[in-house]
Amino acid sequence: MPSFRSRYGLAAALVALSGAVPLAAQTVPVLERTLSNGMRLLMVERHDQPTIAAGWITKFGSANERVGVTGVAHLFEHMMFKGTSTIGTKNPARDKELNDLQDRVRDEIRKEESILRKKQLRGDIEDMNDPKHRSEKHQKLVEDFEKLVKEQQELLVKDEFSKIYTENGATGLNAFTNSDVTCYINTIPANKLELWAWMESSRLIDPVFREFYKERDVVYEERRLRTESTPTGRFQEQINAMVWQASPYNWQTIGWSSDVANITRAQAFEFFATYYAPNNLVAVLVGDFNPKEAEALAERYFGRLKANPAGVPEMTTLEPPQLAEQRVSAEAETTPSVNITYKTVADGHKDDAALEVLADLLSGRTGRLTKELVNQQKVATNAFAFSGARKYGGTFSLGATLAADKKHDEVELALTRELEKIQKDGVPALELRKVKNQAQADSFRRLENDNFLMIQLAVSDAITGYQDFLDSPKKLEAVTPEDVQRVAKKYFTKENRTIATYTRKAGPATPEDPEIAALPEQVRPMVKAQLEKLAKETDAEKLKKALEQSQAQAEKVPAAFKPAMDLIIKRIETRLKQLEAK
Amino acid sequence: MKNRGILLAALALGLPVLGQAPQTTAIPDRPEKLVFKPIRYDMAKAKDYRVKLKNGITAYVVPDPNGQPLVSFDLVLKAGRWLDAPGKEGAAQLMGTLLRTGGTAKTKADDLDEKLDMLAAQASGNLGDTSGALSLNLLAKDAKEGLGLLLEMLTEPAFQQDKLDLAKKNLRQQMERRNDDSTGIEQRELGFLLRGEGHFTNHLPTAASLDAITREDLQALHGRLLSPENLMVTVAGRFDRAEMVKLLNETVGALKAGKDAKAAGRPPASPYVAKPGIYVVDKAVNQGRVTMNLTMQGLRVTDADYPAVAVMNHVLGGGGFTSRFVKKIRSDEGLAYSAGTRAQAAQFLGDTGGFTALFQTKTRTVAYGIRLALAELEKMRKDGVTDEELKVAKGSLIEGFPARFPSKAALAGTFASNDWTGVPDAYLETYQAKVQAVTREDVLRVSQKYLRPDQLAILCVGNAKEMEEGDVKDHPGTLSEVAKLPTVKLPLRDPLTLKPLK
Repeated sequence: MPSFRSRYGLAAALVALSGAVPLAAQTVPVLERTLSNGMRLLMVERHDQPTIAAGWITKFGSANERVGVTGVAHLFEHMMFKGTSTIGTKNPARDKELNDLQDRVRDEIRKEESILRKKQLRGDIEDMNDPKHRSEKHQKLVEDFEKLVKEQQELLVKDEFSKIYTENGATGLNAFTNSDVTCYINTIPANKLELWAWMESSRLIDPVFREFYKERDVVYEERRLRTESTPTGRFQEQINAMVWQASPYNWQTIGWSSDVANITRAQAFEFFATYYAPNNLVAVLVGDFNPKEAEALAERYFGRLKANPAGVPEMTTLEPPQLAEQRVSAEAETTPSVNITYKTVADGHKDDAALEVLADLLSGRTGRLTKELVNQQKVATNAFAFSGARKYGGTFSLGATLAADKKHDEVELALTRELEKIQKDGVPALELRKVKNQAQADSFRRLENDNFLMIQLAVSDAITGYQDFLDSPKKLEAVTPEDVQRVAKKYFTKENRTIATYTRKAGPATPEDPEIAALPEQVRPMVKAQLEKLAKETDAEKLKKALEQSQAQAEKVPAAFKPAMDLIIKRIETRLKQLEAK
Repeated sequence: MKNRGILLAALALGLPVLGQAPQTTAIPDRPEKLVFKPIRYDMAKAKDYRVKLKNGITAYVVPDPNGQPLVSFDLVLKAGRWLDAPGKEGAAQLMGTLLRTGGTAKTKADDLDEKLDMLAAQASGNLGDTSGALSLNLLAKDAKEGLGLLLEMLTEPAFQQDKLDLAKKNLRQQMERRNDDSTGIEQRELGFLLRGEGHFTNHLPTAASLDAITREDLQALHGRLLSPENLMVTVAGRFDRAEMVKLLNETVGALKAGKDAKAAGRPPASPYVAKPGIYVVDKAVNQGRVTMNLTMQGLRVTDADYPAVAVMNHVLGGGGFTSRFVKKIRSDEGLAYSAGTRAQAAQFLGDTGGFTALFQTKTRTVAYGIRLALAELEKMRKDGVTDEELKVAKGSLIEGFPARFPSKAALAGTFASNDWTGVPDAYLETYQAKVQAVTREDVLRVSQKYLRPDQLAILCVGNAKEMEEGDVKDHPGTLSEVAKLPTVKLPLRDPLTLKPLK
């Protein structure tokens, strides 16, 4: 390993050329207004192109759910695109009746599902969702329900809400939900701000949850897409649930599988009624508009929403300190890797900036992890560190993909050793300067795109206040070497971590020894295990004994196993020859 | 790292602010009753930004006087995977990576990384199927120094052996992951289906080809490419145009062809037509990935058909929630989270374009979803689009056009890409007018010309048994019966050799 001086010598020569960037330039003028009902409006005026990035956010997400309805915040977000009592249907009165009728049939179906759930719990059936277990009554109810859906579909003006935006040249109509917030976004032509105000205030005043149960199926497909059919999605869900024990971060925003399948329309409506009052909402506009006119429009349209002075139930569960290190070893269809997660602090905590600087010191092409694990020790092919602070708590994770033939424990040790070095020796000022230079340049990059700026302002405002977003370059610049060392000591303790290792799962897709592949499927795992042991055996005597035993066994085994035994014998002989040649 | 920065800059195009309508009237009960002041958008003209440097290299220089104090450079390589020699598949790709990571004659790789990081620059290098670039984004005050480093990487790469070994290790691990994710399998097999095994984009690296690639191979390829005729440059950001042009002429414009340099030419044209069939890859996942593909022979963006194809695609599945595909497959039936279509024109003259309908649904409803999709294609062929649909699609394509260029860098990139692929300037400048001129008859005509159900190559990746059986209870019908097309089982390929696995 090179000495400290030579590692940073070059950087020292460069620092004169690239000192800190003036901080004043990195901020944007944000106009802040509060409407009569408590809804807030943030505006950034920019006239570079004839568009406006427009969005609004509610300060709540999946952390405001409870077990049984996990996933409801996100499912509700989907329902916000279904229109209003008049947008989206030709016959509002019948549309409403059909929604109610569907709920009634669903209540009956739920009773049937309850019976099936009990059967599954008793082990009488394997999967309550398999249609073959439906009773006659249940099947009839499902068919009745489909009829009601079909009738409603006849009355729909399909996806009219989106259609109106689309034909008016709006792009990127979308929304996202995470544990802390739910945000609805759009880019509109500069002359269509009133359309935006009309559309968004209408869906807040008068949402209609038509097509609820079909949309629940869509969300289930989203779960399959992101979590269930990806190589590591389900494992990440499990690891996340280990990391967060009491906190509602324990479940992912998509929700537990059985909850997603059972949420009712009434539960989604209850979530809306609780968390979408205007005093919980912030609208953000970035782009080509006149702020005075925008404010007047906002008051006129969004001012119609009724405030809810009762407020919302506070999320009071605090994650308890972790007392013991946790480990999970997953076998998945992926490259072997190690990931270590420490629990840290909430967004806005005084240690957040130092942790972020620390993550930057460790990651990237010239970060410590790449330099040490990838370039020097060559135990990994890539490595990362990431600090993620959320509203009610945060994590700091680091990890690496194993180089071929390396072991998980040596990579784990190499990762933790880098943390220990910082705990013991701190960080040189020059290395910190490099990371801060990057942070300062990034603080300009984050302002470039109107849509991205709108989202960042909305999210930061919903979590801690947008001033934190504006102040973050200053906070990062203020981090000292002592701060970095202190937070490293405070959070990177053995008992505060969860270590996850991924090992490649042998499957049909793994490159196979062609001779093993030629064997019958049921004997392959056994043969493979034997041959792997064999390849590592260095004691010729043991091998000779094994050869004798195998030859004796080969006489007795059923014909189907004969080729397997022959292969094992052949390989023992080869291995013996290898050892003798040495 | 928190995501503090993304490489997109605000765009300064179009006209001054247009105020909103006066706010004195009552709120109307329907949005159609709102009145908007008209807005005009004139597409920036490529010729206003194009500069010929003194050695003949074309530069696109797009200043952003109101933007952040940053600048982005792209040294564009008009080269790609087609230059790989047989048995050395992956060489061009590695060359692109190593230009950035392999150090230079003057500066060791690790020292170069250190310099770039100290400058807070974001730098990358790549060489893909049909083009590549060395790219840099950094503070405007450091533009000159940054460009110097970028040119050093381009002209004097060292291709350090240790960095080549590392890049190979990473590529090898990517190979090992080839069958892990159904998305990856779908992408790869789609390439083979649409362009044929012989097409250069399907000459993918294998363990053997990776082993065969040497540092000398990268040096040879580099020597061959280092010539003004194989290069373009784009610059976007906060700078003075005249000063930037001067700087470019002194640097990029002074570059001369090396002694071994040759024109890279153009990627070989491929008129390949996908063979009709239902192709099934068995992968143990509970969601099937479906693409339904048609070759659109010779279709380029400059063809008279193209605007009508764009409208057809928008109505069918390109227009998000308003499209028929999303309405039917996602919204009505709850079968998929993502569903849609795309129509891609041929990139280069002589290539084929392609139409693809795609969705992902639980394996049991793959067959049902395909039947619904086929019905949508038939309906479009038979009846075309309604007046209302035509109006919505045109409104979206025309009024949403400015949002397609969200940054100066995106604008510069578009100009350079059109330059390389031979798309004339007039294409973008007249795009809105051409879309406006599309009629229902045009859409019907192109639908019948291109949407040929008997020519479909349908690819399904997922649990093959469940996809074949279908949803026995609620939507009966097997996969092989969805269309009069032969069913072909595609084996997974060995990730290291790409030979079919038994």
